[in-house]
Amino acid sequence: MFKYVNKRSEKIDGLSLATGEEKYTDDFNAKDVLYVSVLHSGYAHALIEDIDDSAARKMRGVVEVLSCKNVKRILYTTAGQGFPEPSPYDSALFNNVMRFVGDNVCAVAAESKEVADEALKKIKIKFKELKPILSLRESEGSSVKIHDNDGSFPKIPVFYDADKNIASKVEAEVGNFELAYKSSTCKIEYDFYAPYANHCAIEPHASFSYYDLRGRMVIVTTTQVPFHVRRIVAALLEIPVSQIRVIKPRIGGGFGGKQEVLLEPIVAMMTLRTKRPCKLVYSRKEVFKSTRARHEYETSFRVGYEPDGKINAFHLDALENSGGYGSHSLTVLSNAGSKTLPLFNKIENVKFTGKGVYTNLPCGGAYRGYGATEAYFGFGQVVDMICNDTGNDIIEYYKKWSIKSGETSPIFQALGEGKEGVAMSIGSCALVECIDEGAKLSGWYDKKKLYSVDSEINKGRFKKGIGMVALMQGSAIPEIDMASAYIKMNEDGAFNLSVGATDLGTGSDTVLAQIASEVLDTPVDKFIVYSSDTDHTPFDTGAYASSTTYLSGQAVKKAAEDIKNQILQVGAEILGVEFNDVEIVDNKVVLKNGKEEVSYAEICQYSMYQKNQFQIQATASHVSPKSPPPFAAHFIEIEVDTFTGIIKVLNYVAAVDCGTAINPRTAEGQAEGAIVNGLAYALFENYYFSKHGRMLNDTLQKMGMYTSWDIPPIVVKLVSSYEETGPFGAKSISEININGALPAIANAFYNATGKRLFKAPFHPEYVLEVLNSAKLQENVYEVLET
Amino acid sequence: MRQVFKINSVEKELTLNPGDTLLQTLRDNGYTEVKCGCSEGECGACLVLLEDMPVNSCQVFAMSVKDKKISTVKGIGNLFHPHIIQKAFVEAGADQCGFCTPGMVIASYALLKKNPKPTKQEINEALDGNLCRCTGYVKIIEAVENAAAILSPKVI
Amino acid sequence: MMSHDLQWYYPEKISEALKLIQKEGVILHAGGTRILKTEPRNLKGFVDISHLKLNYIKKEVKNIIIGAGCTLSDVINYCKKTNSLDGLCMALAETASTPLRNRITIGGSLKDFPVWSSLYSPLIALDAKLELAGVKELCSLEDYVKKNIIKSKHIIKQVVIKDDKDIICRVMRFNLVRFEYPIFNVAVALKVKDKVVMDSRIVITGVKGRFHRFKQSEKVLNGSTLTDEVIAKSTEYFVPKFHHDYKYSPEYREHIAKVYFNDIVKELKEDMK
Repeated sequence: MFKYVNKRSEKIDGLSLATGEEKYTDDFNAKDVLYVSVLHSGYAHALIEDIDDSAARKMRGVVEVLSCKNVKRILYTTAGQGFPEPSPYDSALFNNVMRFVGDNVCAVAAESKEVADEALKKIKIKFKELKPILSLRESEGSSVKIHDNDGSFPKIPVFYDADKNIASKVEAEVGNFELAYKSSTCKIEYDFYAPYANHCAIEPHASFSYYDLRGRMVIVTTTQVPFHVRRIVAALLEIPVSQIRVIKPRIGGGFGGKQEVLLEPIVAMMTLRTKRPCKLVYSRKEVFKSTRARHEYETSFRVGYEPDGKINAFHLDALENSGGYGSHSLTVLSNAGSKTLPLFNKIENVKFTGKGVYTNLPCGGAYRGYGATEAYFGFGQVVDMICNDTGNDIIEYYKKWSIKSGETSPIFQALGEGKEGVAMSIGSCALVECIDEGAKLSGWYDKKKLYSVDSEINKGRFKKGIGMVALMQGSAIPEIDMASAYIKMNEDGAFNLSVGATDLGTGSDTVLAQIASEVLDTPVDKFIVYSSDTDHTPFDTGAYASSTTYLSGQAVKKAAEDIKNQILQVGAEILGVEFNDVEIVDNKVVLKNGKEEVSYAEICQYSMYQKNQFQIQATASHVSPKSPPPFAAHFIEIEVDTFTGIIKVLNYVAAVDCGTAINPRTAEGQAEGAIVNGLAYALFENYYFSKHGRMLNDTLQKMGMYTSWDIPPIVVKLVSSYEETGPFGAKSISEININGALPAIANAFYNATGKRLFKAPFHPEYVLEVLNSAKLQENVYEVLET
Repeated sequence: MRQVFKINSVEKELTLNPGDTLLQTLRDNGYTEVKCGCSEGECGACLVLLEDMPVNSCQVFAMSVKDKKISTVKGIGNLFHPHIIQKAFVEAGADQCGFCTPGMVIASYALLKKNPKPTKQEINEALDGNLCRCTGYVKIIEAVENAAAILSPKVI
Repeated sequence: MMSHDLQWYYPEKISEALKLIQKEGVILHAGGTRILKTEPRNLKGFVDISHLKLNYIKKEVKNIIIGAGCTLSDVINYCKKTNSLDGLCMALAETASTPLRNRITIGGSLKDFPVWSSLYSPLIALDAKLELAGVKELCSLEDYVKKNIIKSKHIIKQVVIKDDKDIICRVMRFNLVRFEYPIFNVAVALKVKDKVVMDSRIVITGVKGRFHRFKQSEKVLNGSTLTDEVIAKSTEYFVPKFHHDYKYSPEYREHIAKVYFNDIVKELKEDMK
């Protein structure tokens, strides 16, 4: 069916990555560079009363010191989102109040990193300690105000109440939940807890800025959002956008962690002041303490249903810890509802309520899954509970009640990102096939028979179980995200493809080239791809919200189709026939039903040098009216050591519907990476804090990352469908698969032990407490208090 | 100070401070193919070969290895003469962001040189010092298996 | 950040090295990994041991002798090749990571004794002795720590371990992923004759006081055939005391250590067959 799409093409940058040729931000340098170091707050909440940087400034090699004392206070949000951003403007580049341990106090630029670090120690700062809020539950309405009359405001007209420490609030209801809940025969009510998490991209955050030969600011940076960086830095430096060029080199992983504008304005301000190249590279500890994390969440579910399993009323309430600043607070919160609730679209009474509150703990931000991960933890278990309670087979239950092709959910319209959502009906959906495929590959039915609390195999110390969950996510933000592409033809028949889309390791440069290849019937290696340079590529909102393949891909497809028409036009002219008489085949324009043909190279040479000359070129933009969800079914088999509480994952099967996988190899890679990240989040990754709010496990080792040695066998099966609104039927795949581990492991745990896990991660000490608790199903907070 | 080192079979005089790590020294002197992910000996992005042994260059003082043969990923193969392991990584889709890849290639090379036909378990053990957040390791292990299948002990 | 005027010394004789480290701020450099982790203050110089020819492993009379300059990898390779010191080999193979094991030396690791050390528990269980440079008598590893020799300025020359096929040893560590430092290491070594335990040594590291031997538990095992009753009894006396740790409560760690101790002894019982 396809020639270049749906093929396992090698990544176009693959060999240069494997031979170490590719350049990342820290690989750029200049001989007169200044090294920047940032001082981070050791206090969770403190007022800076005075800063005396005179001793530091006197040090040999120190060139500039920046702090709230000498940097104009311009409020902005560090979230790299479309403008106007749905996150509150609650931060300045340097604030005079420190709102978490790791907040930026001041920065030094010096001739060497050693001198810059040394100078930080010489800066005398008079802090006035303020009482901190170090718990999610203590925030709302506390007498401690984290943004106390500091001018913070929402950029878009949404609810915002800094006086009560509320950074965001979402309410949506379809039907009448309370009424339907009351009249339901069965009712359940459960709370779940999902912790902080760090992206742990192997490349730490870095930025490098300099003036080009004509005095324009250039910023090379580790970003997922180069165009947002340009816009935000321009605002903070009070210079025109056109005076800034942002270059995204190779990026060493993002996962949402680099959708945040943190380092760029600091180095750019240093360059502005000193007129010299400046570089800031964060240490791993700084990445942990000072950048962004996955938001901490508490979710509460209230569900009313009938003995046959039919759900009448469903309420999800979410409490989000935004940390010191409200970056992505509102949108992550909305997504906790909008990426889960539509899955069961036949429920007539659905309610979503949520609040994001400020605390003096690390700031949340974008993280793969974006609220859905946290919400699916409870959602997937609640479905399992209802099935167990009503004697429904969960496989059949999901197949019956989940959303199908041609159907819609009122939630799509009710829950947007800071405004009303966009009504849409589901185009492609192969969830039922995913569930069947996953059940088959995981041996679901056999294992389900074999494992249970009372089964022979589970009599001893080690107990086995299997659990599953069905998932959906989205592809891009509808009617908000925009992507564009530019293609021009060269005289040997090859093309330049320029995209604003940001390849941060995902392989999108390759995937986008494959899409253009398919339209133009030309091999992938005929495309010279250049991505994300604000001077040389057209606009793109950035690599987030599972948007690149779906959205930027469609922009590329449109541009390529335009090019195709131009090529056909010139080809017909050369052959002396009508436009409709020709078609393209294998880099050539050929006469339909004839033998005459003209090569792409000849066509381009003709259009450049011979007659009616013009550059064959095209640009196209794309905005999507919908955000078609990818779907997935995950099946996990585990073994619980009931003596230690250690859960070992034995097998992981994921069947995923991402529409047409443009590149099945990179699509599998996205799924495998997300699965392992999700497993780590479910089983051990967490933030541990001192009683003063300082993160304790601030190294990769203390975080305890997976190595190849630890991972279970993982099977990813791509189940194809065709999404009419996506390029060649494609939807997204990057985020969805991080959501399965939490609920599916918890369901497997119930299968093995008859007990429920409400608190992530499933740390063995917590698991052992649950195992030893007398009651069969305990609420998380009861367990915590015992 | 200046000191001669043997890097990728070439003797080079590098500038360094006596307390610098091998990682700092290499990167400061242009060997940016050696990546820095943590400086704490934990991520493995900075692996180089010392003689034939992979080590975390951030955990080695440069002045302690001035007499040893040092090899970066470019010493194993370059863009124009890539090593079979490097090609296998590309073919398997084992490189996503690529930041961990030079270190992964080094660790794989050292393994296959010592043990041309490793089991999956032995591959997992040999890569236990290399972190990757993108791939979930599935395709990395596949790449090493594929490379082992192609390579005869002589070629390496 | 290290000082810029650090001095490097590359002595070829141990006596020379010993003299050099008497200077203020001058320390021994083997693999360097711990120095980089701890970044000692007022460092003035390094005495590199690579020319001291301490990287050897040999069998001598009834001992296996490991030069202090051997890396963990060297020891693992030797054990695998000669099929000796199983327990030690297994413990070391799980320590740190492949590239770090290529760098971490036995001497450096003993001198620094990090809480997560996987080297100490098997070596104490195997009753390893140290030969320090310039000291005639061997010093037991236990005394090395207990008598605070570890804090003095000295050079470990070699480690001496009994080469006795009747001694079996197993080690277990607790961590969730390979890469995480273990919160404790338990090692049990048994000298077995005709399926009877002649002697035993039980050691845990990662506890209060750095390491602990469970002599009561040992007494219970000695002379037994490791019946279930004996194992249960010895576990009763196995009560390690832990410091507070943010990831696990002391009670939980005590519980897990007991489980692991039990597991090890049961595995050793299998080994005896």
